[in-house]
Amino acid sequence: MELLQYLPYLLLVLIGGGVAAPVLAKRLKHWVGVVLAFIPLLFFILFVRTNIILPETESFVLNVPWGLIPGGDFSFRVDGLSLIFGLLVSGIGVLVLLYSAGYMKKSEHKGRFFLLLTLFMAAMLGLVLSENLIGLFVFWELTSVISFLLIGFDNHLAKARKAALQAFLLTALGGLSLLFAIILIGNVAGTYTISELLDKGALLTAHKYYPLIFILMVVGVFTKSAQFPLHFWLPGAMNAPTPVSSYLHSATMVNAGVFLLLRVNPFLGDTMLWKSVLPLFGAITMFVGALLSFGEKDMKRILAFTTISALGTMVLLAGIDTDASMKAALVFFVVHGLYKGALFMITGLIDKATGTRDIRKLGHLWKKLGWVSWATVIALLSMAGLPPMLGFIGKELIYAAKMQAPYFPVIIMVLGITSNAIMVGISFYLFYNLFWPKRKLESPCEVNCSYARSSLLSFGPIFLSAFSLALGLGPGRISNYLTNAIYFIRANHMELHLTLWHGFNTVLILSFVTVSLGVLLYIHREKVSARIAVFSTWLNTNYYFPDLFDKGITGYVRFAARNTDRIQHGYHRYYLITFFVVTVSLVTAGLFYMTGADIDVDFSNIKWHIVLLLIVMSFGAIYAVASRSRISAILALGVVGFGIGLIYLFYGAVDLAITQFLVETLVMVIFVLVIYHLPMFAVLSDKRTRLRDGIIAAVVGIFTTLIVLKARFVNLSEPISEFFVANSLDLAHGRNIVNVILVDFRAMDTLGEITVLALAAAGVVALLKSRSSKKKNLKNQ
Amino acid sequence: MTFVNRLLLMLAVYLLWRGHNEPGGGFIAGIMASIGYVFYAIVFGTDGARKRMIASPFTFIGLGLLTSVTSAFIPLLQGKAPLTGLWTEVVGVALGTPLLFDIGVFMVVFGIITAIVLTIIEVLEWN
Repeated sequence: MELLQYLPYLLLVLIGGGVAAPVLAKRLKHWVGVVLAFIPLLFFILFVRTNIILPETESFVLNVPWGLIPGGDFSFRVDGLSLIFGLLVSGIGVLVLLYSAGYMKKSEHKGRFFLLLTLFMAAMLGLVLSENLIGLFVFWELTSVISFLLIGFDNHLAKARKAALQAFLLTALGGLSLLFAIILIGNVAGTYTISELLDKGALLTAHKYYPLIFILMVVGVFTKSAQFPLHFWLPGAMNAPTPVSSYLHSATMVNAGVFLLLRVNPFLGDTMLWKSVLPLFGAITMFVGALLSFGEKDMKRILAFTTISALGTMVLLAGIDTDASMKAALVFFVVHGLYKGALFMITGLIDKATGTRDIRKLGHLWKKLGWVSWATVIALLSMAGLPPMLGFIGKELIYAAKMQAPYFPVIIMVLGITSNAIMVGISFYLFYNLFWPKRKLESPCEVNCSYARSSLLSFGPIFLSAFSLALGLGPGRISNYLTNAIYFIRANHMELHLTLWHGFNTVLILSFVTVSLGVLLYIHREKVSARIAVFSTWLNTNYYFPDLFDKGITGYVRFAARNTDRIQHGYHRYYLITFFVVTVSLVTAGLFYMTGADIDVDFSNIKWHIVLLLIVMSFGAIYAVASRSRISAILALGVVGFGIGLIYLFYGAVDLAITQFLVETLVMVIFVLVIYHLPMFAVLSDKRTRLRDGIIAAVVGIFTTLIVLKARFVNLSEPISEFFVANSLDLAHGRNIVNVILVDFRAMDTLGEITVLALAAAGVVALLKSRSSKKKNLKNQ
Repeated sequence: MTFVNRLLLMLAVYLLWRGHNEPGGGFIAGIMASIGYVFYAIVFGTDGARKRMIASPFTFIGLGLLTSVTSAFIPLLQGKAPLTGLWTEVVGVALGTPLLFDIGVFMVVFGIITAIVLTIIEVLEWN
């Protein structure tokens, strides 16, 4: 157990490995994948060892002091649930890294790929190991961002960019909703820590905010785990390189929503909302996903839709909220991760070897793929839920759980059987199309043997399928993990026994029915597939969700642009007028409303040197306004600027004076540089405009004077200057109070200011360079 | 680098260092440091000025922002709120995160002035 305290450091090593990946990739080429795979392997071994020694009803919490807000730190929690997810994330992570080493061998951007994939792994591990809801949220959003970068990895392709943006907008919207839910939970329960929240179930579910919390959280979960109607980003995400699809969009990231449901079930579950909304949407998703998959021809899209269906099943099971359903959900999560990861990897291998993923064009691959063919068969068996695979055990558990559904059990059973039947049909369909040697093909399928037999590409799928078979034959090995997980999800210590044979019962009969239906579907596959394809096309032309979403976004952007055009018209003088008039009128009104209209002017203590300075400055200002020569006007304004600096000096503000002199000089220099290219004499605006501007200027000047005269005697609260004078030396070790305020007491404001300066510099340089490049283009023409 | 440049840079560093107890500080130091290069650019042209700067102006801006933000996040490692000032004594001299912050401000101001002024000179083909 002591080894677990090294978890944070191991995570840092993973992040470091990822950051170093681009540099390493230059030296090691694609072997960097193999090297990086060792780090998740360490995680895997650590998790396995922990599971052996972790007692069945205990969890291990590691408090880490770093955090973003008080109460929102990055503490770690290791219990059955995080172990199961952690094992899958790290285990499949090792295999995906090895696979990517083979897949991305010829890519120029491998370094960036491995960087992103490793950082994603770190974020996902952080998510499942998080003890604090705020920490969990940070990792949740990180996975969304990295997923965006990975989906759009081939960023020269427009459709990849579009798919990435759509996935990101949806999951980010869900993330925002989730943040609101988490903050509400924190406010109601008074804590963000999961250990403490586990006891607050009664408080949260009875609270008046519970429906709001539930809905906000559910939006977050539905976007991340691609539930209907927010599922449409997942097929688009198939534009990512296949290792990404295998890892993120089947085994890990999309399951984050399910993980969250299981995590919060102790304190947000067991209510009518939970047990009706989740099964309903889960069942619909399960059915729609399976149905649409049958009409697709691209292997990755078939797998994407079946993944949507599987996620629907998991949400459905989490919603049913019984011991049996949680057990089923966890087993199914493992089952699905294993076979889906393998199938995606195999798809990628076939894609590289034959150049296509279209199942109409693929065929006769049995001998050419060697061991991978066996792996495919095993994975397809698992998907169909046939013995002796773990998939069979999973399906039995699911049926058992569905029979106990509290609301609409009949509908759920019917949808469940149909969806599973479709899965069986799809598995047979894929097997036949890929491997049956007597199938008629229009043109033979060319196979590039170097890819087909590549050990890096084959290792992943073969290992996953073998593991899936082993677990199916000996399922007792995962019971221990499940017991601990169930304890923390259901607060119920139950001994779990997983076996292949449960005897003749209703569930077995249902399995028979499913398989028969599935075979029936397979036999009629051409007709069914054609019908579904027609339905899909109808759906896509009329209600194509991705397009509707795009239209929504473009409409919104256009609306925002129209408003911006109205407010940001580009005329400097109108900006100034708006600013002056609004500010001065608001401040004057506020000040005089609050403290009356009397002004105390004390004429006894006049400093005559300041008055002289002010008179000189006024001459300068008048000359600047009246002069027709541009350079003279600028120099006169310089007089005003330097005069202000002298005033600062007279009143003892040395820092301000130095800054004023320096900036004034610089501005004058820049002015002269620029003015040199303008005509020497100014063009004046017409009389009416000058009158308007003159009146506004005079009014603003008068009212500003009144404000200044008044403000001297208004003290709404204690002046903060006393705090600074008293504490500058003690707390901040500085005698220059102005500087101490800038970099210590008010450092946040300064940080904002230098950011604005940086942006201003970027804007100025961009504008100037664009103007000069336009001029160059005209010159060249 | 010319003599004026070197002098102004030394003056800038001096102003930065003493800013906490005497008039000075990051903004002022940044402006002073940039003036040398602006002067050089006006007289000899921007190519020479850019060569004499170790890195491009925007690198300085970026590094400066990074330094300031880092100094804001260092207190998190000790469990304190961001931007808390942490001080240590090194050989009798007090060093702290506000100094790091000020260095960041210095680099940003240096970067933006050189970026803007050198670009203006280039675009207007002053030289």
